[in-house]
Amino acid sequence: MSTLAVVDPCQVTAIATEVFAAMIDRRGGLLTSWSRGPMTVTDPLHAWVDLGTVPAGRLQVTTDAGTAGEVTRAFLMKGEAEPIADADVVDAFGEIANVLGGNVKALLPEHVGLTLPEVSRQSPSGERAVLLNEALFAWRGRPLVISLYTI
Amino acid sequence: MTISSGTFAFVADLVRRRSAIQLTVGKEYLVETRLLPLVRQADLAGVDEYVDTLRMRPHGAEHERVVEALTTNETSWFRDLIPFQILTGHVVPTLVAQHPARTSLRVWSAACSSGQEPYSIAMALLDAAAPLKVEVTATDISGEVLSRGRAGRYSQIEINRGLPVAMLVKYFTRAGTEWELSEQVRSKVTFIQHNLLDAPPRRGPFDIIFLRNVLIYFDLETRREVLRRVRSVLRPGGFLQLGTAEAIFGVGDGWERVAVGRGSVYRSEARGAP
Amino acid sequence: MRALVIDDSRTMRHIVADIFAGLGFDASQSGNGREALDLLEAGESFDVACIDWNMPVMDGLEFVAAVRARREWRDLMLIMVTTEGEHGQVVRALAAGAHEYVIKPFTPDALESKLALLGLLPAQESR
Repeated sequence: MSTLAVVDPCQVTAIATEVFAAMIDRRGGLLTSWSRGPMTVTDPLHAWVDLGTVPAGRLQVTTDAGTAGEVTRAFLMKGEAEPIADADVVDAFGEIANVLGGNVKALLPEHVGLTLPEVSRQSPSGERAVLLNEALFAWRGRPLVISLYTI
Repeated sequence: MTISSGTFAFVADLVRRRSAIQLTVGKEYLVETRLLPLVRQADLAGVDEYVDTLRMRPHGAEHERVVEALTTNETSWFRDLIPFQILTGHVVPTLVAQHPARTSLRVWSAACSSGQEPYSIAMALLDAAAPLKVEVTATDISGEVLSRGRAGRYSQIEINRGLPVAMLVKYFTRAGTEWELSEQVRSKVTFIQHNLLDAPPRRGPFDIIFLRNVLIYFDLETRREVLRRVRSVLRPGGFLQLGTAEAIFGVGDGWERVAVGRGSVYRSEARGAP
Repeated sequence: MRALVIDDSRTMRHIVADIFAGLGFDASQSGNGREALDLLEAGESFDVACIDWNMPVMDGLEFVAAVRARREWRDLMLIMVTTEGEHGQVVRALAAGAHEYVIKPFTPDALESKLALLGLLPAQESR
């Protein structure tokens, strides 16, 4: 059973905070809880990994395309003037979903597998996905969401 | 050896940009001390030269190491490795040979922070000093870090730093997003709040004392005093381990420096606690 | 010293290779275990390999097992660098023959500390 319902929202926040501090920002304090009222993400980009089977779970990261580019820039330690290709974003943003998903996976009572990350402008989580948990963040002031689903 | 003001300014700027921590004038010694291991690894003559190489390169892993060196409290397991190799490879066999009938080893880990050092000592001794009973006294001035130490729980990031994976597997279990040390290891360490400027903890006399990377924060006179107090609770022939970039020069008698492989350790000469 | 970085994420390969470069290593990259094995079969030699677990074609565990089955590659140090963080997974990797293990997320000094544990870095001397 891979239900992600056992995952506490605080744990998602703790994991995300560590991932961003250690590997993306290389300092703390840039990923904080969203405290600015309702969040809208325009021009969204989604990255996700699926965990286990029967029922399968999903960890999905969503932000706007511009922010995804900036996260990629930070992750790759590229300067402000350096170009960031779409392929770079797909790879980096996917890897973020991978690392977040792997750490969430370790919270589950039994070992389950993790799919390779996917990235798309279309959210894969349609009607049949059951939203368990949504963590809203501000990354350098920009909106970023980490969602857990049963699919 | 002093670093140039240009070097200090470069480093202070780098650290401030990456971590928001301000290195104020007067912290030159800290920059020097913390960067010396990196300088040696780069096989350069000094901090100025080392920083010059950073100026010429785009921001990368080496710059990050500088920031890390200056902003963390170095909470790493088995920090610098060599002192722990000396502990198990030289100190323990010497102490056992000195008193074959001994049944225990008493260690003081001073300025223990969140516990990685005393727990590293405990794990190393559990492996290398069996069947001797291991008692580690861990002290720090901060009650907050002591609580962390007592809990024995560490984050993924912390667990990656310096901990041999064989020890992770043997002595830790997962606890939510963290890893928790086994009762077997935690039971060997007692955490006590203590200020090095006060009388030493009463759980001695000790066979081994770790006093790493804390003397640099004190002036010369205070260092002498701390070392005198430390020595007063160390058994004659007991061992003192300082930080990798630290040495005792002109701060007091009664210590013998023992070179061991690529490192060194200090031994208390005859006068000391009985 | 030569390092081989094996991960299906170009981003991770870049970051790990960069850490190695900062430590004075020559770092090569492979996108999965099969590609990495092909490099070794072709006669390329390395001092250390950092290996992701979950990769297409051939995963990290298979790669580790394949390397450890060959006497001629017994000096190659194998460090898993992976999100697989369950206690049981770490045990599996060690049983397959990995020498060290880093769980993502990690900081550069963590990888460095593992290299030091494996004796792959010049030792610091104390005064």
